[in-house]
Amino acid sequence: MEVLRLHNLQKSFGSVRALKSASFTLNEGEVVALLGDNGAGKSTLIKAISGVFPVDRGEIYVRGQKVSIRSTRDAMDLGIETIHQDTSLAPDLSIARNLFLGREPVNLKWLGVFAPLDLANLRDAASALLKRVGISKKLDADALVSTLSGGERQSIAISRAMQFAAKVIILDEPTNNLGVEETHGVLRFVKEVRDAGHSVLLITHNIHHVFQVADRIIVMRHGEIVAEQTVADTDLLTVESIITGADMSALLRETRAK
Amino acid sequence: MPVVRRRSSLIRSPQFSSLVILIVLLAVFAIADANFLSPLNISNMMAFLPELGIIALGMTLLLTAGEFDLSVGAVFGLAPVVVMLLVQNGGFDIGIALLAGLVLCIAIGAINGLIVTKIGISSFLVTLSMLLVVRGAALYITQGFPLKSWDQPGFFVTLLAGSFNIGTFRFYTSLWWFIGLSLLAIYVLRYAKLGNWISAIGSNRNAAVARGVPADAVKIWLFILTSMLAGLAGMISAFRISAASPVAGTGYELEVIAMVVVGGTALTGGRGTILGTIVGALMLRSIRNGIVLIGVPGLAYNIFVGVIILAMLILHALLQKNAARS
Ligand SMILES: Nc1ncnc2c1ncn2[C@@H]1O[C@H](COP(=O)(O)OP(=O)(O)OP(=O)(O)O)[C@@H](O)[C@H]1O
Ligand SMILES: [Mg+2]
Repeated sequence: MEVLRLHNLQKSFGSVRALKSASFTLNEGEVVALLGDNGAGKSTLIKAISGVFPVDRGEIYVRGQKVSIRSTRDAMDLGIETIHQDTSLAPDLSIARNLFLGREPVNLKWLGVFAPLDLANLRDAASALLKRVGISKKLDADALVSTLSGGERQSIAISRAMQFAAKVIILDEPTNNLGVEETHGVLRFVKEVRDAGHSVLLITHNIHHVFQVADRIIVMRHGEIVAEQTVADTDLLTVESIITGADMSALLRETRAK
Repeated sequence: MPVVRRRSSLIRSPQFSSLVILIVLLAVFAIADANFLSPLNISNMMAFLPELGIIALGMTLLLTAGEFDLSVGAVFGLAPVVVMLLVQNGGFDIGIALLAGLVLCIAIGAINGLIVTKIGISSFLVTLSMLLVVRGAALYITQGFPLKSWDQPGFFVTLLAGSFNIGTFRFYTSLWWFIGLSLLAIYVLRYAKLGNWISAIGSNRNAAVARGVPADAVKIWLFILTSMLAGLAGMISAFRISAASPVAGTGYELEVIAMVVVGGTALTGGRGTILGTIVGALMLRSIRNGIVLIGVPGLAYNIFVGVIILAMLILHALLQKNAARS
């Protein structure tokens, strides 16, 4: 079943046409890998979906309903959670405060932004969440994020997305700068998230990861989607050649023919 | 185990080390000169403390959100001057004049905030320019002459600058303002949802925005708050000394920022402590007061103040490094 559909999204920064036209569909319980070279427009595309900036043109549909996403809050309310390339956590805040940033449990709700945090609830919910994703043994919910490793931070960001995303989780190069162990942790998360019924849009430069977790591949080049394939129907070499634009399989055929 | 960890983190926290140094300083001054702890001297210090301390509260929140305001000293000077001109030359009621002063402070803060957030110029440059505009305005509209302030007793004077005696100590109502506002600021920064947002914005603005935190709006309101507090402090001072001078508050911006960072708030945002700021305000006031009493020559004050501030900052930095390593 279709969860998210983009139709002809366009975005320019001044004279730079970062996103010329992007249309695709994301289905329920599916991991789609978004590939492309540096500057292809991947981050721009997902920032548009997650409400970081408005698009110039195009439509976004969530579960078949046309929506307008004008702010990050709109995207979150629609069940779209994004973990951005530039880290999504505030290092000076505790793990618990980060997990619930923007969605803090409070008492006396009528006080609005002046409402007191429900600190006990915050701690308990954070601990429960850490336990659920299996990192509670190592981490104290009151620890500052600045004391965590890159992999631990990534795990926190992902578990936060799992907690709140009703529908779609977007990960922009989540395994960047991570060690082997942590990378496997992230990939395992992705599978778990899918198995729990969420849809995942995964941006990465590591094609091996794609073949490990993704169901479908979308390739962008110069702000456009140039290919869309299911993982089962393609192979590493083909995907690489589409990304770079050089027809490597054709090259290969030629050399073979000789 | 967590209990032990929390206690040691309290001892390592910047507000704690500032407090220790404050106590040492107070002890040194008290031993050096018995008059330091005399009722008269304490009353004196407590009269000055709130005026800068109130501004420092706003500045702490602003710094925690990653911005600062250099125009506070100028606003401190302009607000009472405008209020007094409206009363003396415009014939307005004092209440209306005060309201106009308040609106002026809100406007100055809003302009600072809007330029910083919407146009994206650093708050250093924006508020430095604003300092010149505001100070220049105060000088121009008064032609450089101080105005006699409101000296008739009345509701507003009592509210802002009334005084009362407790035993042999003489206190001003401004101390209540400072205490009340401090408690509010502690609550907001530590326990309210807004405080979580302020720290998050200063720590990693993009992360906060990605979580739906209205970072620009929060910053604009903090600029407005800081301006309002600067104007309030200016009024308190003008009522207390019954004069409104266009050069009042000159240099206060740096003194206030010093109080805040000495207390342990990070200049780079994300980490703010109101308790630390209160300690910092007490420290700078007692240093200024104490070095006079122990006979440091007047022209040498700033050497001492500067050296102590620097020593505090070095201490914070070393503690920070230590905490990161363990
Ligand atoms: N805020 C911006 N202002 C101006 N140009 C931008 C902005 N953001 C992105 N661009 C430009 O848009 C193009 C696409 O950038 P984008 O960040 O989407 O690439 P990407 O596919 O995510 O690349 P990478 O793999 O390196 O992360 C680039 O040419 C980039 O320079
Ligand atoms: Mg990118």
